[in-house]
Amino acid sequence: MTLSKLSLRNAGRQARDYLVYAVTVVMAAALLYSFNGLVFSQEVRQLSEKMNTLPLVIVLASMVVVCIFGWLVSYATGFMLSRRSRELGTYILIGLTNKQVARLFFLENLAVGSAALVLGLALGGLLYQVLRAILFAMFGLSYHFALNFSLPAMGLTLFYFALIYLCALGRSRKRIHKMKIYDLIYLERQNEGVVIQTGKLRRRIFAVSIVLGVAGTAMLMAGSLLIGITGAGCLIFALFGFFLSFASGVPAFFEKRPARKYQGQNVLIFRTLTAKLATMGIVMAVISMIFTATLLTEGSGLVMSGIFRGRSVESACFDLYFGIEGENQDPGPYMDYITEHIPVEQSVLYQVYLSDQPQVRDYVSSRTVYYCYNYDQDPILCWSDYAALRSIAGYPAVEPEPGRYLFHCMTYLEVPLRDYDQPITLGDTTLTPGSVYTEHLSQSLGVTNGRGYILVVPDEAAEGLAVHHLAYAAKTLQPVPAEGYDALTDIAYREYNKQENPLGYGFVSTKANEAAQVAVQTALLAFPMFYLALALAMTAATILTIQQLSETERYRSQFTLLRKLGVARQEMARALGRQFAIYYAMPAVPSVLIAAPFIFHLARIPEPGVMVGMNSPGIIVIISLGIFFLIYALYILLAYVSLRRNVLSQ
Amino acid sequence: MLQVQNIEKYYGNKNNVTRALDRVSFDVEAGEFLAIMGASGSGKTTLLNCISTIDTVSAGKILLDGVSIADLSQEELAKFRRERLGFVFQDFNLLDTLTVEENIGLALSLNHTDPKAVQDRVRDVAQKLGIIDILGKFPYQISGGQKQRAACARAMVAGQSLLLADEPTGALDSKASKNLLEIMSAMNQDMGATILMVTHDAYSASYAGRVLFLKDGRVFNELLRGERGRSVFYHEILDVLAALGGDVSDVI
Ligand SMILES: Nc1ncnc2c1ncn2[C@@H]1O[C@H](COP(=O)(O)OP(=O)(O)O)[C@@H](O)[C@H]1O
Ligand SMILES: [Mg+2]
Repeated sequence: MTLSKLSLRNAGRQARDYLVYAVTVVMAAALLYSFNGLVFSQEVRQLSEKMNTLPLVIVLASMVVVCIFGWLVSYATGFMLSRRSRELGTYILIGLTNKQVARLFFLENLAVGSAALVLGLALGGLLYQVLRAILFAMFGLSYHFALNFSLPAMGLTLFYFALIYLCALGRSRKRIHKMKIYDLIYLERQNEGVVIQTGKLRRRIFAVSIVLGVAGTAMLMAGSLLIGITGAGCLIFALFGFFLSFASGVPAFFEKRPARKYQGQNVLIFRTLTAKLATMGIVMAVISMIFTATLLTEGSGLVMSGIFRGRSVESACFDLYFGIEGENQDPGPYMDYITEHIPVEQSVLYQVYLSDQPQVRDYVSSRTVYYCYNYDQDPILCWSDYAALRSIAGYPAVEPEPGRYLFHCMTYLEVPLRDYDQPITLGDTTLTPGSVYTEHLSQSLGVTNGRGYILVVPDEAAEGLAVHHLAYAAKTLQPVPAEGYDALTDIAYREYNKQENPLGYGFVSTKANEAAQVAVQTALLAFPMFYLALALAMTAATILTIQQLSETERYRSQFTLLRKLGVARQEMARALGRQFAIYYAMPAVPSVLIAAPFIFHLARIPEPGVMVGMNSPGIIVIISLGIFFLIYALYILLAYVSLRRNVLSQ
Repeated sequence: MLQVQNIEKYYGNKNNVTRALDRVSFDVEAGEFLAIMGASGSGKTTLLNCISTIDTVSAGKILLDGVSIADLSQEELAKFRRERLGFVFQDFNLLDTLTVEENIGLALSLNHTDPKAVQDRVRDVAQKLGIIDILGKFPYQISGGQKQRAACARAMVAGQSLLLADEPTGALDSKASKNLLEIMSAMNQDMGATILMVTHDAYSASYAGRVLFLKDGRVFNELLRGERGRSVFYHEILDVLAALGGDVSDVI
């Protein structure tokens, strides 16, 4: 038996005993590799010119991820060191030098790390395909599965892993070198003392943490960087104060209430929780902090991608659209280009009119949050143009309603507009309210079909009304290529500069360009956020699970004893389940309380009409929590299954 | 071979000092089987830990073959433990991941002894201690008595000159205890091992050639077996214990 052989064997045992950790390290490698794949992919960069910054963004995100995983590995190896002190002491006892023991431990972790890296690379190859498929779908391209491994990506992953492991193992090496054999053999871990002793101080700290927590959450939402950072500081204090005072308060609570203590399995749960109070309090606080960070990052990612999508769907309803306002509304240059370069199936060139007064706008502003700039009167469309637009956008035809005016609006204005019962008068025609339609019709920006809403009136009623702008919408035979979009925006820019007092803008949008823009923004901003969130969540859940599973021995002897005392298996399973539920719920609760209002607030910041439907603030909060708890549940399940098998079997 | 000179050991801080050893001195000759007896808390483990280099003394000197162990460097200490000392603890210090054979041979093989030679020596010792059949098993698959014999084998496989045992029979039933003690006597008499055994049990101590009594960290008495039979010696030990204080029941 040589040192390396022994290390290898210990590595095998480590992978078994700390399975959850090993799985996380594999996942870490997979995650790093798959994102590195994006860094080096030629194909991905060719998706759009703007994707050129993607490598930089991903490398920056990866650095943070490396720090996160580095901390995890460092924590886990440190944890193993203290867990296995007796074993290490025995090595020294029989004559190994500290140096040899350090080498043993180093080799063991190196073996686990390398195995994880190899597995992770294989898994990462698949994960990269998933990322690729998502990207392709976002850019509206068809995806073909093609498993190919990128050497540079592998090299970079290897480099990151070396960083992670060298730092962590360097630290544990130092620790081993300093270890005294006496401490190793005799420092059997004892129950830890209560950190905050007196009840009065404890209650005070508890109260202060709650206040700080609420204040910190509020400051986080203030929207100023400095106040936000102060808020984050407050939250860190709050979490530590909360968990330390809470953990210290548990024994007092039960000591004062013996009846509660001996009720059902309480005494068991209580003793398990109090056995490691000090570490428990700190671990819980740190985990809770990471969970909060996870939820905030993930929520921000979701809000961002929500904004990108929400802003673009409205403009993406026409294959090709342009609008011109200002003094000289001449579609000539645009039309020349389109006729020459873009095959069109159906199109309409139309005008958006204005009513005499902003009566609907005033009503809407009084009913809901509405940004009203750009139109001083209510915008109006005539029926035949509206029918053409519906047909071009691919919506079902609707019945004309003589003597009435219709609303076409974005969904956030639907309810108030349905309630609107005032007639409007245009010249000498008076029209009563008719139906309300809410399909996307390019209504979110200025030189489009109204802002949020537009009135549709019979053609004859629109005659003689003031014109706000000229617009064009078309259904094309093929998606408009990027050059087409660029050429048209160039024209808009030239036309703008031709005006004597440039005020009116030309606005161009194409379905293809909108999709590409969303894809680019999502890839550059939301992707890295999810990447970070995933790394954070995995790290925190792993640490919790390592802590929990290290108690297996204690549980096992406890339950064996209980069985001898005649406690039913079912009863024990229930106690275990409850203990588990409390343990895993504790750090998650404060995080949810902090993050949910923040995400909700964040999702309400964009202009109205963007965060609606699946992007509405409430739903974003639910999705954020949902994704987070899905990952969390996976770890809980893994831990529970393993603990149940070890503790309740036989 | 071993000289303990006026050693003292304190635990705790300035306000609350526990004097675990108080000017303890004695010599151990090569080939001797010495038992150290005392009530729980009398300082036995502390004494053994100081000798075995697990712990350090607060004052005094421990010489092994004339060399003060306090003067040894880290490297020399490791070599010293490896080549000179063997340990048997109350709660078996075997490594769970290794088979009995590997446990016994680990220190040897990690120090680059030729694998074939390691195996031969392990088998040789195991043969003498009657554990040859369980060499392939893991610690959790064998009994407490077998574990202790494996620990004994490990303690002498490298030709260590001093075997240190702290309550080796503490976790064993009386039959296994007797078996282990007989093996230790045989190691002492037939193989020439020097044994220093700490125990609170008069029966175990009666296997030794000399018994040192500790009380509150001091050497209280010494008893030599000489040519007497074991059972006579046993009763003499009990008499000393009775004189030592009213806590005989605690000691036995
Ligand atoms: N690490 C320690 N810190 C403080 N006191 C200790 C420590 N180890 C032992 N002691 C004290 O030293 C005395 C001798 O202990 P020990 O040598 O373990 O006794 P024995 O092995 O004879 O039962 C006891 O009073 C014990 O409480
Ligand atoms: Mg003792």
